[in-house]
Parts: sequence; C-alpha cells; structure tokens
Amino acid sequence: MMRTLDAWRSKMALRPQQRRQLWAVVLLALAAAFPLVDQNAANTDAMANAFVYVLLALGLNIVVGFAGLLDLGYAAFFAVGAYAYAIVASFQLKPEWSDVWLPFLWLGQVSRIQLPGQPDMVQLHFSFWAMLVLGAIICAAFGIMFGAPTLHLRGDYLAIVTLGFGEIVPVVARNWEWLTNGAQGLGGVRTPRLFGFNFGFAPLPYYFLGLALVTLVIFVSYRLQESRVGRAWMAIREDEMAAGAMGVNHIHYKLLAFSMGAAIGGLGGVLYVAKLTTATPDMFQFPVSVMILVMVVLGGMGSIRGVVVAALFIALLQSVFLQELTAYVQTLGRLIGNAYLQKVQLISSLELIFGCILVLMMLYRREGLFPAVRRVAALTREQQAVLPTRDATVQLSWAGTTTAAPGALLHIAGLTKRFGGVAAAEAIDLMVERGELVSVIGPNGSGKTTLFNLITGLIPHDSGTVRLEGQEISGLAPHAIVTRGVARTFQNIRLFNNLTVLENVLVAEHPRLQAGAAGAIFRPPRVCAEERQAVDNALEVLALFGNRLLPRLEHPAYGLSYANRRRLEIARALATRPKLLLLDEPTAGMNPAETLELIDLVRGLQAFGITVILIEHKLDMIMDVSDRIAVLDHGVKIAEGTPAQVRNNERVIEAYLGRRRQTR
Amino acid sequence: MSFFDILLQQIVNGLALGMMYALLALGFTMVYGIIELINFAHFSVFMTGTFFGLTTLNLLGFSGSSKALTGLPLVGTLVLVFAVTMLATGLLGIIIERLCLRPMRGVSGTAPMITTIGVAFILVNVVLMVWGPQTQPFPGVIPDQRWTIGQAEVTLKQLLLGAAGLLLLLALHYLVRRTALGKAMRATAQDVDAAQMMGVDVDRIIILTFFLGSALAGAGSLFFGFYYGFTAFYIGYTTGLRAFTSAVLGGIGNIPGAVLGGLLIGLTQSLGGQLLQVRWTDVIIFSILIALLVFRPTGLFGIQTPQKA
Repeated sequence: MMRTLDAWRSKMALRPQQRRQLWAVVLLALAAAFPLVDQNAANTDAMANAFVYVLLALGLNIVVGFAGLLDLGYAAFFAVGAYAYAIVASFQLKPEWSDVWLPFLWLGQVSRIQLPGQPDMVQLHFSFWAMLVLGAIICAAFGIMFGAPTLHLRGDYLAIVTLGFGEIVPVVARNWEWLTNGAQGLGGVRTPRLFGFNFGFAPLPYYFLGLALVTLVIFVSYRLQESRVGRAWMAIREDEMAAGAMGVNHIHYKLLAFSMGAAIGGLGGVLYVAKLTTATPDMFQFPVSVMILVMVVLGGMGSIRGVVVAALFIALLQSVFLQELTAYVQTLGRLIGNAYLQKVQLISSLELIFGCILVLMMLYRREGLFPAVRRVAALTREQQAVLPTRDATVQLSWAGTTTAAPGALLHIAGLTKRFGGVAAAEAIDLMVERGELVSVIGPNGSGKTTLFNLITGLIPHDSGTVRLEGQEISGLAPHAIVTRGVARTFQNIRLFNNLTVLENVLVAEHPRLQAGAAGAIFRPPRVCAEERQAVDNALEVLALFGNRLLPRLEHPAYGLSYANRRRLEIARALATRPKLLLLDEPTAGMNPAETLELIDLVRGLQAFGITVILIEHKLDMIMDVSDRIAVLDHGVKIAEGTPAQVRNNERVIEAYLGRRRQTR
Repeated sequence: MSFFDILLQQIVNGLALGMMYALLALGFTMVYGIIELINFAHFSVFMTGTFFGLTTLNLLGFSGSSKALTGLPLVGTLVLVFAVTMLATGLLGIIIERLCLRPMRGVSGTAPMITTIGVAFILVNVVLMVWGPQTQPFPGVIPDQRWTIGQAEVTLKQLLLGAAGLLLLLALHYLVRRTALGKAMRATAQDVDAAQMMGVDVDRIIILTFFLGSALAGAGSLFFGFYYGFTAFYIGYTTGLRAFTSAVLGGIGNIPGAVLGGLLIGLTQSLGGQLLQVRWTDVIIFSILIALLVFRPTGLFGIQTPQKA
C-alpha cells in the first residue's frame, strides 16, 4: 500500500519539537535549582568553571563537528577573548590623558586619574557586558584573518596551521610585555557589574551567568544545525566536492564555521577571565586545546547534547571527581597499609586519561558516546517487500517554468584538457538542444567523465568554451555553475552519507534558499516559510521515485541499498532544479527491472522539459532512449548522430571492437 | 668578533642543529609519504628516545657528572648507545602502528590524526610516570674539544654527531634507492593498491616505514641529549613541531627535501636567535610553517608528491 504524497507531507509537518522543548525546560529548572539546593560553594564554583568549558566545547563542535575542520589550536581564541577583556579591565595600560578618551569617560568606561606633579592618566575599566560582545567579535575577526588564507587547504594541513596559531598566541602573550605583562600575566581584572551589583568573588553569580550563556549557545547550535547553514556545513564535512556540486560555496561556509567557533571561544575567554580575575599565557597552551577536543570527541562530533554532557564530565573530572577519587584511594591505602596508594595523586594522570580517551574513542566508537546520527527503526519486512510503485500523476511544480532562450541550451566548442601528455579531452565540440536526451558513450578511459567534470567546473579546462544558453560557464567555480542550472550525478556515488535522505535533498536546495546565519538563529517567519517550502519541494522530487525513497526519509544515506543510493543522487541533482542534468552511469549496478524503472524516470524528466546528458555502458538501452549519441575515444569525439547513424559508423565499431586486420 | 664571524659561527651551529631536525623530519615525511598521515606520536617517540638513550648511558655506568671519553671507548659507547636507542624507538614505532594505527587504516577524515594525538599524550605521561617530571642531566661522554676556523669554533661534538647523521642519511638513501625493499617502499608511496597487486606486502612496508622513521627519531633524540645536555618529558612538542616544519619546508613526502628542510630550520633557529631575540624564534618558525602551507604547500622545492584520493 502506498501512502500519498499528502500523507507524507502531513507526517513531516507533525514532527514533534515539543518533546525537546520540554526536556530543555526541565533541565534548565534543575540546573537553576542546583546551587540553591546544594549550598556547597566549592561545587557551585566547579560548575561555573565547567560551564566555561561547555561553551568552548560547543564552539569547537561547530568547527570540528559540524563543518569537519580539525582545529588543534582552539585555545588560541579562548586566549584572545580572555586577554581582550583582561587588558581593558585591569591596570596594565595607563595611557596619558588626552581628549580622545572623553567619549569613553562619558560612557563610564574609563576614569581620569589625577596625580600631583605628573600628567593625568587614564584608567581603563570597560564594561564586562560590552566586552562580552566585543571579545566575541574580535575573536571572529581573528578567525576570519587566519581562516581566509588557510581554509582552502586539505584537512590535515589545516590542522597543522591551527596548531601553529595555537602555539604563536601564547608566545606572543608571553613576550609582548607592555600589553600583556608577559609571563606573570594580568591580575586584578575587574569583575562584572550589573545595575550596581558587583559579581565579586562568590561563585553563584558566575554560575547563573555561565548557565545563561551555555543555554544561549546550545540554542544557537541547535538552530544552526537544523538550518540551511548547518546542512551546508555537514555537506562539506561529508563530501566537499559533492557539496560544491550542489551549489555550496565551501570557502564561505568554512569561514563562517571557523569565525562562529572563534566567537564562542571568545565568549568563554571573557567569562573565564572575569571570574578568575587573572590571565596568564600558561592558561591557553596546547593541552587546553586538546582537552576541548577530547570533550568533543567523547561526546560525539556534531552531537550537541553529547558535547555538553562530555564537557561537563571532563571539566568536573578535572576539578572534582579526580580529587575525590584520590581521597578515597588514599584512605584505602591507609586502611590496607599500602604506601603507594597513600601517595597516589590521580589528578596528575589527567592527560593520560585524555590520551586514552582519544585513542579508545577513535578505535572503538568514532561517533562518540552520544552519536549525532539518530537511530531510526528499520523498515518492517512488509514495508521492504512492498512492490515498487510509481504514481504516474506525480508532477514537478516547477517543470517548464524556466523561460526558453533561443538557441542551443549547451554549446561546447574546442574543449581541451590534457593531463601531462595524455589528452583526456581534445577539441570536443558538442551542441545540445533544449529538451534533448543526448548520450555520451565510448570505451573505458575515453574521457566521458572528464567531459562532465569539465562542464561542471570540477577540473579546470586548458582551452575551449562551454556556454549555457549563450553564456560562458567554463572557468566558474562548481557551486556557481550549479546555480546557472547544471546539475550532475557521480559515477562513484557521492552522497552525504551521515545525512538523512531528506537532508541530502535539502542540501541541493541550498542555492535557492536565502537564510544566513542570523536567519537560521532567529528564524523569522520568512525563514520558517522558506524551510517549509524546501521540505515540500524535496518531498515532491522524492515522490518521483514512488515508494522507493519516501518511506526512508529519515534514514541516513549510508544505509540505503545501492540502487536507492543511485536514485537519491538523481533526486538530489533534480532538487537543484537544473535545466541540464548530467547523469554519469545512473544504472550501473542495477538489475534489468530497476534499469527499466530508471529509464522510465529519465524519459519522464524529458517530458518535464529537463535536458539530459547521459553517460552509459548499456548500449541497448542507450539506443532505445537517446535522441542523439556522441561517441568519445581517447578524448576525441569520433562520431555523433542518431542511434541508427552511430550504430553503423565504422569508427565507432572500430573503437569498440578493434580494427580488422587489413587484407590486401 | 666581527659580524661576519658571528654569522659563520651561527651557520656552523645551525647546520649541527639542522641535522637533528632532519633526522626527525624524515620520520614525518616517510610516514606521510606512505599513508598520508601526520603522525603526532612522532613528537613523543622522539622525546621517549632521549630517555632510552639516557637509561642506556646510565646502565653503561655514565651519569651526569661522568668524565668524557676519548678514542676507541668513545666511539664504541656512541655506537652502542645509538644502536640501542634506535632499536628501542624503532620498536616503539612498530608497537604504535600495530596497536593504534593499523585498525584505522582506510578510515578517512581526521580520525587517524586524532588517534596519534592521543598516543602522543599517553607516551608523555608514561614517561612522566617512569622517569619523573624533573629535568635530567644527559651524560656528556663526548670531550669538549674545539677547533677554530677563522673566528668560528667547531666542536668535536658537532663533528662526531654530524658524521653520525651523515652516515645514517647515506644508509637510508642506499636502502630507499638501491634495494628491493626500498623500491617496494617507493611503490607503496605512489599507490598502495597497485603495489599490493604487484606482490608488495604493504603491511610489512608500513611497519618498516614506522620502524625506520622512529629509529631515525631515536638518533635525533640522542643529538638533542648531547647538544643540550639535558632531557625532560616536555621537550618533544616544540622540537617536533620544528621538525615537522622542516618536513613541510622540503615538501612533505619528499625524503631529500626533509633533510634540506631540517638544515634550513636549524639555520633559521640559530640565525634568528642571533639576529632577533631567542624568545621570538618559535613565532618565526611557525610563521614560516603557516606561510608555507598557505602559499606553497608543495614545499620550497616544489616537487609534487603523489596524492592519493
């Protein structure tokens, strides 16, 4: 039995968010009640410090977990935020008074100190609240400064660059003495004040401040994760090239992730220094970066709840659990008279524990203790055994809406690409009319996929032009070419494996959606409407495949069968609303019945007005469906024409079967 | 001393230091060449090596206050210490590969790199537990003999260690370029699958690579011990990162490049320390690293190493 499209729509609309909101309220109430019930100031203090680490871990989670960028110097941003506040809220700088400071004086951010017999001086005491915002902005700026030149690097190189940055910042802090007071660090940092109330040195106000910031960042993280921005990040993490082919500008989104992570690190830094009232270079060394990484790895990269739980655990392990455990072990040592146990200091094995966590998690549970990918119930036997059906009435609402410009849709002229001495494409000319289905065939290694890669901009061409509707598209970045209306599938399927079926298709709608980071976080009505529309559009595309993909909406792509993976890739390409669809061996690995089903679908696409170029090896099928066929051999187009013409072409036969020995 | 003499002196010192970085950089570059992994555990293998060397010397009856040796006993002791330390670090490298990295083979993304960071932390803390946190003096078995060339001084230590380093580099060159095993290594670096099809036992080659790289790090750790006359659990990180910069400088994956990169970083350190202030040395070196990766990721010599998808 097949559910109708409308039934699926209503099911998606009812997806309950309420349960999560309920959890949030309960947890928040418990957290707020904790220091009031448990009057132990030491515990409150430990929790307040732990909140700082939760902030940091959530920030790193955006970088490492969402966008998949390994940042090994994250503590550098923590340091920048901390010093940003400490410098302007301590006695380190005492510039001479000049009228430049007047506006700050009026705002109450500085004081004028009059000393007899000396020029007047300025004492800085910038507001904590202003610096909380400003510190985050400064860190985001640092993130952009370091990210912009480095984010195009391969993942492992990026890790090293961030490691270098993480090394440089404490060295600068140690050596730039007039600003940072060197190795002694800055002391006497002003504590926050709110409406005349001084936070002072008691932990309780910091506990609530930390809780508020953590709540805010958790909220922001969830909002981002479930938005166009978050999907783009995860698409980049899963497969950068496929993300580009879906129209995601990976440099832009990596930079966004990097700077948002940095900004949250900055928040943590300002809060930490305000609570501690000192900042020294040693607080931000490599082990701190690793500790934050341990939190993210332990909880599960990309899993917000996992990261929060793990960060709390690790922070408290350091400040409470290990101390208490040490006391127990030493008591045990005294009881059984073991001298070694009496002297044990477990806190010194903290880094050993970190090392073990990293190694063990990577070896045995890479997805973390609380994986980001939700488990969904497998389909029942009946659901799996159900006959494939396709509703012939399914339509694409946007089909045929594009205005037809006169002339050929795609015009390739003299396209050439050489790898060393090998010409993968040699002066290829090809015209594709609107609404045509053109097949590209040729023996293995004849340059078919290279042709697709050249059209979609994945590899740069040496010479020649590719024009879409008369406009040059060669030389554009892959994500720009998608937005012009060219979509593709890959020969070796490149899905976003850890995203669900629905999310895979939603990523493809990326270029048509508007929401940026702010829209994702505040979710104004415009963005809500846009998201609803996006899900609707995705369902529409998926409905083309009948009951193949719709029942599996919430399943991660890695769990799909081979044929369904191919189908999902086509659905994903269709969701970009292409004028021209490039299918690279879409029926590879499918059985004859599945092949027929897919051919039927491709014909349907033609009826919707989508132009298709098809690479295939199944020649009987090619002859059947194609309007025209182009034959490549060794990067050269050796024939082009209707199936009948190509079938009888001498050179084609030669290319496939070899040359008959010349008889004289 | 004229400025030129100071420069000359710093070049001599820099080349001597550079030999140490070169030996360390080789381990990074060889492993990266074969399995495309930045091996952070290499930092700690190097650091552990200094303690293996120290313990070996102690077992031979030398302590921080021992008198220097001369003649045959000196050469014999050095050969023995080098052999034992290199064997020990080499075995350590094999254990790391076998236990922690082989199960990660074929896992894409950041996971293998994170594993090596974990291994590095574990090693540092094991060393802390076994040898303690205090800085330990390294026995100075090499006599303090100096020769002057112009105004610059060359020490016997620099000559002996330089000779040892050169010998090791030549041996490595012979192994990689002239033996069947070396050919198998180079083939594996080009394409693991193809090498496997041609009958290369890839597991064995990877084990061998880790052994050689770690053994060279062991040699490098003795350089550290003899030059600086001390060791401690924390020395691996900075030195390792400088050595890694050397490997990148020469084009990571490129064996001769790593040696040249090491020498260059040695020179940068000694000249930078002379011309600027020592405390900024690391900022200079890491800035070089970042600038290189950004602008010239193939290294100074621009030789593209094979990229595997």
